[in-house]
Amino acid sequence: MTAEHDTMTRTALKVGVLNAWYGESHVLHGMDFDVAEGEVVTLLGRNGAGKTTTLKAIMGLMEKRSGSVEFGGVETINLPANRIGRLGIGYCPEERGIFSSLNVEENLLLPPVVRRGGLTTEDIFDLFPNLLERLYSQGTKLSGGEQQMLAIARILRTGAQFIVLDEPTEGLAPVIVQQIGRTIERLRQKGFTILLVEQNLRFATSVADRFCVVEHGQVIDTLTRADVDASTAKLNSYLGV
Amino acid sequence: MALNALFSQLLIGLINGSFYALLSLGLAVIFGMLNIINFAHGAFYMIGAFAAYFLMASAGIGYWGALILAPVMVGLAGMATERLLLRRLAKMDHLYGLLMTFGLALVLQGVFQVAFGSSGLPYPIPEALTGGVNLGFMFLPLYRGWVVVFSLVACIATWYLIERTRLGAYLRAATENPSLVRAFGINVPLMITVTYGFGVALAALAGVLSAPINSVRPLMGADLIIVVFAVVVIGGMGSILGSVITGFAVGVVEGLTKYFYPEASSTVIFVLMVLILLVKPTGLTGRGIEATQSAVAPEPASAQGRERVALMVFGVVVIGLALLPLTSVYPYFIMQILCFALVAGAFNLLIGHGGLLSFGHAMFFGSAGYITAHAVKVWGLPPELGILAGVAACAGLAALAGAISIRRQGIYFAMITLAISQMLYFVYLRAPFTNGEDGIQSIPKDRMFGVLDLADTTVLYYVVLAGFILGTLAIYRTINSPFGQVLKSIRENEPRAISLGYRTTLYKYVAFILSGTLAGFAGSLKVFVVQNASLTDVHWSMSGEIVLITLLGGLGTLLGPLAGAFVIISSQHHLAEFGQWVTVLQGAIFIACVVAFRRGIVGELAKVLKISL
Ligand SMILES: Nc1ncnc2c1ncn2[C@@H]1O[C@H](COP(=O)(O)OP(=O)(O)OP(=O)(O)O)[C@@H](O)[C@H]1O
Ligand SMILES: [Mg+2]
Repeated sequence: MTAEHDTMTRTALKVGVLNAWYGESHVLHGMDFDVAEGEVVTLLGRNGAGKTTTLKAIMGLMEKRSGSVEFGGVETINLPANRIGRLGIGYCPEERGIFSSLNVEENLLLPPVVRRGGLTTEDIFDLFPNLLERLYSQGTKLSGGEQQMLAIARILRTGAQFIVLDEPTEGLAPVIVQQIGRTIERLRQKGFTILLVEQNLRFATSVADRFCVVEHGQVIDTLTRADVDASTAKLNSYLGV
Repeated sequence: MALNALFSQLLIGLINGSFYALLSLGLAVIFGMLNIINFAHGAFYMIGAFAAYFLMASAGIGYWGALILAPVMVGLAGMATERLLLRRLAKMDHLYGLLMTFGLALVLQGVFQVAFGSSGLPYPIPEALTGGVNLGFMFLPLYRGWVVVFSLVACIATWYLIERTRLGAYLRAATENPSLVRAFGINVPLMITVTYGFGVALAALAGVLSAPINSVRPLMGADLIIVVFAVVVIGGMGSILGSVITGFAVGVVEGLTKYFYPEASSTVIFVLMVLILLVKPTGLTGRGIEATQSAVAPEPASAQGRERVALMVFGVVVIGLALLPLTSVYPYFIMQILCFALVAGAFNLLIGHGGLLSFGHAMFFGSAGYITAHAVKVWGLPPELGILAGVAACAGLAALAGAISIRRQGIYFAMITLAISQMLYFVYLRAPFTNGEDGIQSIPKDRMFGVLDLADTTVLYYVVLAGFILGTLAIYRTINSPFGQVLKSIRENEPRAISLGYRTTLYKYVAFILSGTLAGFAGSLKVFVVQNASLTDVHWSMSGEIVLITLLGGLGTLLGPLAGAFVIISSQHHLAEFGQWVTVLQGAIFIACVVAFRRGIVGELAKVLKISL
């Protein structure tokens, strides 16, 4: 990492001219953004804008991608997905990805520890007491909210300091949304860096430091939390509400 | 005394059950991770036994060493196979995996046959396990007891590994969602390689266990794997424990049959499969993973007008064939090609246009041959009625076999048709009218319709050619009828066809009957050409040959079967002196077709010329 990057805060993730394709269909058209260490950044955008695809491309899960994804100063564009995961990125996909052939405990312990300093299982049950009660149930027999908790919990164990969450509040009751909001807040205090995709604008503004607005596979605007109040109208037009 | 015999048959049943369990367990583990039905499983079982033999013969390593070393060696070979070959199939239809591993099995078995012939090599029982104990109600040979116990332990250990350990959790998770598991930092491609290695190592372990009992033969796994397919159809591949229990249970049923009704012992497993499918079309566990849509044939014939090009080319070819007797070409050879081209065309109707891979078309080809031969020779019917009898019998057979198999898709359909065909093989092997290994020889060549003297080679040639043209036009007509259009849309997207209100099962069923009937027609014609009907034509290797001809010629093309038959039958003719190398070559062609050449000869040609053939 060069000195320029080190000015105030260090860059955790730097995405440059990222392109990605599903087969022949070109979905990301040069995504450009970065995330500083300790920051919470949210990708906003309409349905189909390419937010999920961006996360998948960062994780190396797109078959075809080009451009640059630097993680902690390491260029990952040519690394296989499993090597990228090992660099210390925890990923919670849009469809949660709880395994039905594994019970809750196995789901929780599945992602291998990649760094020291992850949450202990006590910490996790402290955060998500529901999980402790259902430890031996089949993973997919949990409620949607519990599955979401499990999906987040299992990546906190691994020691990954960079967490990628795709719509963690989707379809959840307000109480649980609040709980997840508090969890993100606690993670930030612990020094985690978080990249988030969110449709729920209220939730997003309550947790994020910065917002990248995505449209047609490009970042068309970046706002800080301070900008948000002043630009509600602009945001609403971006999101088409 | 009788009780004694019962118990010893039960013991043999348990031993066979051990092999079924170990093999179907390996198949299930492999299928879970790779989505491939490993047809080469029987070959790896055989190689396991050979590895034990070699270790003993060349390095002086005995049974106990072989029990560990042989599976490890075979496992490593399996890992190399996965890396070099199977990996290329990722994301392709399951059926390609079946085809490629079938080719692999042919290559491996062929190589060992070339090197060792078909007879068995002896392998001694390890000294510590010779002799036996008298249990009062029976005499238990120690080695046999050991095989059962050890297999059981190996099965339970595998179950524990997969269901109760960390590594097993990775495996189960990767079966469900490989890319997410990868994103967690786990090297899934490596796991896939290791899984395949592990699966075939289990097969090799079974091979070592069986070496002292069954002796070591190149084809020891070839028939076994078909029985194991039936076991898999019965038990499904969804659960580890299910495979193990089904394997042992089926072995016991087989053992009991050997005692109570020995005539049925080689068919009982297939009968069991058929009965279970009749009662529960989805198999016992009901969780048999169905292959998704089988879009096996690469994008075939497009616009209606272009179809005519194929017909025109076909016309030109036919004219050429009609002029053939004027030349000095030996017609016998061409007649054989025509018969094979017709049966492959019938098969192609099913796979190329219906997306159904039948691995049992030899049952029609061979049955029709037997019936026609018997009708003409024993009943003294004229040729045309003999052919009619053969064709009608095949229509009936197809109606039965279709009723059993048609509701299952993809690999399951392939395994079921293969199993039914194998069952018939054993029936014909024992039925008195087929003369067993000798077959029905010297078929009389009477006058067809009272005028056509089939003893005259030229007349026979034109009769066969006319049959070929008739059959091919029937296929062409079917494909281009509204029925064929519906069939095509089923192949492309069955759920959509269902939602449009088509009773897709019925369409597939009719296609199956049509295909079986036409295949039978080819088999009946062939009787007059080769002058006999024999077991070769109902054997699974004949089904494989039909698949190969079609695949090589070009799935879903009108002229592919003829091109494929020409290449395959002439290579058999010209390379006959090389013995089993022909099998190796055919296996290699299978693999090459699947890896690099999925359109086949005619398909590639059509692509280059931008026309539809
Ligand atoms: N598996 C796929 N194959 C082909 N195209 C896809 C696939 N997944 C997504 N797309 C397309 O890529 C584009 C971006 O999809 P993406 O899932 O990234 O959107 P998104 O911003 O996450 O939307 P949402 O807010 O609805 O989750 C869409 O136009 C979508 O249709
Ligand atoms: Mg999304």
